[in-house]
Amino acid sequence: MYDVVDFILNTQLGLNSPDWVVMLISHLIVVAILFAIAPVQVLFLTYYERRAIARMQDRVGPNRVGYEGLLQPIADGVKMFTKEDIVPVSADQRVHLLAPIVTAAPVMYMFAVLPWGPNMIAVDLPTGLLFFFAISSISTVGLLMAGWASNNKFALLGAMRAVAQVVSYEIPALLSLLFAVMLTGSMSLMAIVEAQSGLFISTTDVPNIPDLGLGWFVFTPVGFLAFVCFFIAALAEGERTPFDIPEADSEIVAGYMTEYSGMKFALFYLAQYILNFLLCAITATIFFGGWQGPGIAWLVSQSLSADNPAGNPVYNVLAGMLGTFYLLAKTYAFFFVMVALRGAFPRLRIDQLMNFGWKFLIPLTMINILSAALWIAITRWGTAQGFGIIEFAGEPSNLVRWLIAFAVTLVINVAAYWFLARLNIQDHVARQAALAAGGLAVSPPRSA
Amino acid sequence: MITTDELQINIGPQHPSTHGVFRMLITVDGETVVNLEPVFGYLHRNHEQLAEVNTYLQNMPYTDRLDYFNSMANNHAYALAVEKLAGIEVPERAEYIRVLMVELTRILNHAGAVGFMINDMGAWQTPLAFGIREREKILDLFELVSGARMMCNYFRFGGVVRDLPDDFIPRLKKLMVAMPAYIDELERLLRENEILLARSEGIGILPREVAVSYGVTGPVLRGSGIAYDIRKAEPYSIYDRFDFDVPVGSVGDVYDRFLVRIEEMRQSRRILEQIIEQLPDASGGHINPKARQNVRPPVGDAYARIESPKGELGFYLVSDGSTKPYRYKVRAPSFINLTPLGDMCRGYKVADIVVILGSIDIVMGEVDR
Repeated sequence: MYDVVDFILNTQLGLNSPDWVVMLISHLIVVAILFAIAPVQVLFLTYYERRAIARMQDRVGPNRVGYEGLLQPIADGVKMFTKEDIVPVSADQRVHLLAPIVTAAPVMYMFAVLPWGPNMIAVDLPTGLLFFFAISSISTVGLLMAGWASNNKFALLGAMRAVAQVVSYEIPALLSLLFAVMLTGSMSLMAIVEAQSGLFISTTDVPNIPDLGLGWFVFTPVGFLAFVCFFIAALAEGERTPFDIPEADSEIVAGYMTEYSGMKFALFYLAQYILNFLLCAITATIFFGGWQGPGIAWLVSQSLSADNPAGNPVYNVLAGMLGTFYLLAKTYAFFFVMVALRGAFPRLRIDQLMNFGWKFLIPLTMINILSAALWIAITRWGTAQGFGIIEFAGEPSNLVRWLIAFAVTLVINVAAYWFLARLNIQDHVARQAALAAGGLAVSPPRSA
Repeated sequence: MITTDELQINIGPQHPSTHGVFRMLITVDGETVVNLEPVFGYLHRNHEQLAEVNTYLQNMPYTDRLDYFNSMANNHAYALAVEKLAGIEVPERAEYIRVLMVELTRILNHAGAVGFMINDMGAWQTPLAFGIREREKILDLFELVSGARMMCNYFRFGGVVRDLPDDFIPRLKKLMVAMPAYIDELERLLRENEILLARSEGIGILPREVAVSYGVTGPVLRGSGIAYDIRKAEPYSIYDRFDFDVPVGSVGDVYDRFLVRIEEMRQSRRILEQIIEQLPDASGGHINPKARQNVRPPVGDAYARIESPKGELGFYLVSDGSTKPYRYKVRAPSFINLTPLGDMCRGYKVADIVVILGSIDIVMGEVDR
């Protein structure tokens, strides 16, 4: 964005504006786009979800407001604005008011480090990934505040469930993302996306083949396992089916949102959908190349930058648009998976959720980090960071290294999955045997 | 040292999963249920007292409103009680039509019960759509014969109010062809879903002795492993002519109750097949022409019971020789089946309560009357 603004102001208009003005204007444009457009398109996720689930259930879904119901989110918003804001008498008034703000504000910040296209990022923090998850944890505090301040037992139960769930699933989520940090050597989301250029062969390059932007991490065994683990953990973080336990409507009504109405309720709702969108976007960014895709590399090579002063700024804009399109397409695809899961599955129980997280997901992601280390060592065989002990007779080609790394990590990951699944199934088998013997295998009853 | 305390929560009377206005006073230790006390009576509408100021026939539409899922079964039990009291004969064809309707009711009730149970587990209405898909087609058939989809009011003393329309049997046959695949699909929904299995296996166990001591009947009792079905134990109407099995569970958990319901749907379909084969022609009439509808039974009392889809549904009537019952008492299966809820839920998690309640399959209209 800096290059384009610089081109328009200084080259085209000849204003000779100082560097900081260019910087300020380019940032303002990015921030305006992010904060005006991003939340609005998230509103339409609710429409998207309702229509998709309606199709799954042989219904039509909202189709009255606007063309095919496209204005339904706006109508919902207007309705929410006109609703009476009810605060329970026994609620802690100030905390009750603050809770939706504390929940909704942090998720907006998460947009700041999300790369939308080449050079299209609000702040390219060197610790973007850490920032992303650190900020998302803050909104958990808001949930606890909401549950506690409502002075409602359903809300309290929901808040406790939410905190327990989010805290437990942040560990596997971050552990599964660590492999990307190890592979790229950076926590910057932009650097992680840029590392996923090239062909299907990640982190290695084959000469004389154009950059198709398809070197996604998901095409490696390490990346694939991490992707599966992360997406499951993301479902739990975003409180999506089958992990929508904190707001299980058939058990505890709406969990921590029970005592909220009007705009405060809408804020929780908005925060949750933005979080879901961002979790899908981060999945696309880290595992599926983010804005990378065929054509991006060519557009970037034609565009204006400090290295290429002869480039045309139109290509900057085109590259940005295509990158944004790729990112959004991938994100919506993941959101569709979330929607389809919601349409198909019942939810787990809180103890089953914890068992799954702590006994299965966390060990699996830890083993995956081991695989990632091996991947790096093998693909950089012979170099300072790779295996130095065993030397090949002659230098092995990149492809050979890649194939060896693929085979080794695949074996490790499949074995780890199989072993952990066996361990967890043994629980199930033992429970079945106890049931057949006529005993109570789960939660023995207490005398009242 | 952190001290913890038990929390008392009222689930209901206004709650999405209590299937009506029903309250559960639960005491929880964290997420574990320490005690549960079912509280009912919120839907009390003076049903039995009202029946005593109405004539016998005027009560027939009221019975529709008891268990509004199974109006045909309620009609049947009430008609049987009045016929026993007044000594009314029922023609052959009418008996077949009655059993046909009640078995259709059983299929639609079980399909709905399974769908709602999975809904209570948290599935967002899609399994429910599976459950009520065939139910709609059965309701179409009810509409064809009685003019109403839910409140059928189809039975009369000595028969049924009108004969089957000409296109009823062809439409029924068409439905029967599609039904096995539909029932298999509904079964696969649970048997092949890991989450559903985890949520239903070993949950809400009702041991046989406890089930018997509470007087539980219907699929809940059979899920606990007792092959008690009034259609077999004390055949009423013409059930002794049909060949069908009584499925029983082994453990008595939510999963067993689900499987019993699925299997009962298959058995009901078997009965329907036999009915279509044996159905006498219309020459016998669909109603006993000598039966007066404004019935004036002799002094005495009568109790008639049927195996309604939810369990033993009984009507106890006392006549003082007038056109109105002196006493009218309903033995509602939902009400009796609901009483062991506390024992079934104790020790399980909060999330299990609604699933267990869903597996009992209650209709509050019948519980509170």
